[in-house]
Amino acid sequence: MATDPQAPVPLTSLAAGASARLHDTQLDEDTRSLLRSLGLTDASPLRVCKRGEPFIIQVRATRIGVSSSVAGGIFVVPDKAHAGFNPGS
Amino acid sequence: MLVSTPAAREPQAGAGTTRLALLGNPNTGKTTLFNELCGARAKTSNFPGTTTAVRSGHCDLNGTRIEVVDLPGIYDLRYPSPETRIAQDLFAGARMSVPDVVVVVVDGCNLTRNLVLVGELLAYRHKTVVALNMVDLAKRRGLTVNAGVLSRRLGVPVIPTIAQSGAGLETLKEAIAATLAGTAPESRPADLPPADATTEVLTAWADGIVAESASGLACDAVADGFTERLDRIFTHPVLGVIAFAAVMAGLFYTLFALATVPMDLIEATLTGLGALARTWLPAGPVRDLLTDGIVGGIAGSVVFLPQICLLFFLISLLEDTGYLARAAFVMDRLLYRFGLPGHAFVPLLTAHACALPAIMSTRLIPDRRDRLATILVAPFMSCSARLPVYVLLTSLIFADSPGYAALAFVGCYLLGATAALLSAVLFGRTVLKGRARPMVLELPSYKTPSLTNALLAAKDQGLAFLKTAGTVIVAICIVMWWLNAYPAVDETTAVQALRAQGQTEQADVLQQRTAQAGSFAGQMGRVVEPLFRPLGFDWQLTVGVLTSFLAREVFVSTMSVLVGGGDDAEVDDGVLNRIRGMTRADGTLVFTAATSAAALVFFVLAMQCLPTLAVTRRETGALKYALLQLAYMSTVAYVAALVVYQSLRFLGVS
Repeated sequence: MATDPQAPVPLTSLAAGASARLHDTQLDEDTRSLLRSLGLTDASPLRVCKRGEPFIIQVRATRIGVSSSVAGGIFVVPDKAHAGFNPGS
Repeated sequence: MLVSTPAAREPQAGAGTTRLALLGNPNTGKTTLFNELCGARAKTSNFPGTTTAVRSGHCDLNGTRIEVVDLPGIYDLRYPSPETRIAQDLFAGARMSVPDVVVVVVDGCNLTRNLVLVGELLAYRHKTVVALNMVDLAKRRGLTVNAGVLSRRLGVPVIPTIAQSGAGLETLKEAIAATLAGTAPESRPADLPPADATTEVLTAWADGIVAESASGLACDAVADGFTERLDRIFTHPVLGVIAFAAVMAGLFYTLFALATVPMDLIEATLTGLGALARTWLPAGPVRDLLTDGIVGGIAGSVVFLPQICLLFFLISLLEDTGYLARAAFVMDRLLYRFGLPGHAFVPLLTAHACALPAIMSTRLIPDRRDRLATILVAPFMSCSARLPVYVLLTSLIFADSPGYAALAFVGCYLLGATAALLSAVLFGRTVLKGRARPMVLELPSYKTPSLTNALLAAKDQGLAFLKTAGTVIVAICIVMWWLNAYPAVDETTAVQALRAQGQTEQADVLQQRTAQAGSFAGQMGRVVEPLFRPLGFDWQLTVGVLTSFLAREVFVSTMSVLVGGGDDAEVDDGVLNRIRGMTRADGTLVFTAATSAAALVFFVLAMQCLPTLAVTRRETGALKYALLQLAYMSTVAYVAALVVYQSLRFLGVS
């Protein structure tokens, strides 16, 4: 049975090249604030540039490297057109 | 629309100098623009009431000299960091009078995020000019920004610039002058979000402005293939480590190879000056103070200047290329487990040369807790001043087994590094509660580094070091010299007899030995000897420990003097044999295997360096951290040496 395409998933479940929108973060307040300062605000579009350690995403024109523990606390809604799901995760 | 803003701030009348503040996100070319505006005469000092360094300089604007303050790069005015607080304080008029004009440097490739900061600033209602920087890069990426439209939307002048080439600089200066004179168009945008607007609201406002003023391919729509490829290599689990090792090897090779020449030159010059003063001045306490105390003190501290300048020159180049952010991730995998951030690798590696530049280079670390943790543990790394001590003690323990001596040598380095990492864990659970913050870093575009920025960074850090070295460190050196040289001891009859026989050199050596033993440091050695007796140290070894607080290598010269071998830091075989043959009051050997091993462990771990404490005090802004560092490292060293000595004795090793 197909999963709901609008359901938020951890960032770590996306494949490199996938696009998504930020849904929520489950991180400490400092890290959340820093990510927001870097442009990762509610519903902002992002693209996965590289998986692994560090996990690299691009938010508008900003490339942000995050450790995988942070990436695991970022929940996103994948874009339908680019939703690459990483089966290995 | 009712706009809620902080009260309009007027520059303080009669404040005298016109002040311009440069504000902007990190990696927008703000520092380059500052250097273009102010040239080489800028100075770095801590922002009043903080330990955060702020650069300031002067530039000429239509014949008027104005002060330019380069604020630390920040992403917005609400993220809780010391850098943000400085900007908030400045714009609110706390600690320093408000600036007459603010120039916001905006990255033309990354407009939305940069305009969030502009939106926040406009709420303060300061006179503002926007420098739309890196327009060349934006154009290459297919993005055209209409500065006129942007200016109308923001209600302030917007000047396209290319800071690296200086393009647009004159127009920017004209716009600043017009804004100061009140002739530039100035109006607050009607749709400006209120001061308490969320980042989401500000971002939506910025997005709207970008949609109206920019056209062509948005930078985020294209994957920068070059950056992606390099990032894959530099952050790869294996290739990244290899690249990191290669870059660091190159950096430290350059540092050691190039710094040696000016260091030798400084040493030779000061030694020459000392000798000159010795021939010109009559013998006596003034001559001794000048030649041994002051010149010796200056030589002992200023000699590190080339290393510090070169290190910051190279770090600035690396930082400018964009590589350091990637390297921080590579090392974060290892260091995070110990409560240290990935950025700590530069200070920890530098500490193998000297703890002074290492502690200064912790300015790279953004988080204060992480920075303090790194400062506290960095001196555990085996610095080059420990080398002569390691050479002496390993030679004493393994006289006929150079292989074992080499292994012990490597063991010293490993012991220091292990102690640093474990101490970081301990500090993270006690005085600096919390783990290193999980890494979240902007990965800036790779670019050609600016040689001017690197030269100015080296100059700034060199001057900052000289300020400490010229005051506190030289004072410490003079006090330690005084303790070591006084009270003056008259020549004994044995010395006079040697002189009468024409054996001047032997007479000098014997006199040095007598003076060392009778000095305040020598007397203190006898007083505190009971404290060190459980480690197997006698009074002579204790004097070595005390005198080496000036600098660790002094231990070797002290031992050498005590056995009558002159005060050279390098000891020859004859002196080594005499040190090996040193006896206690009861006639037994001082340097038994157990005592030598305990002394070796003690010197690996102890904070035997007062200049380091002076720099810790300055960089942390609090004496308590310097005292904590001294107390903690001394305790660890004492306990470890005690365990080693007593265990070896228990195992029958004498």
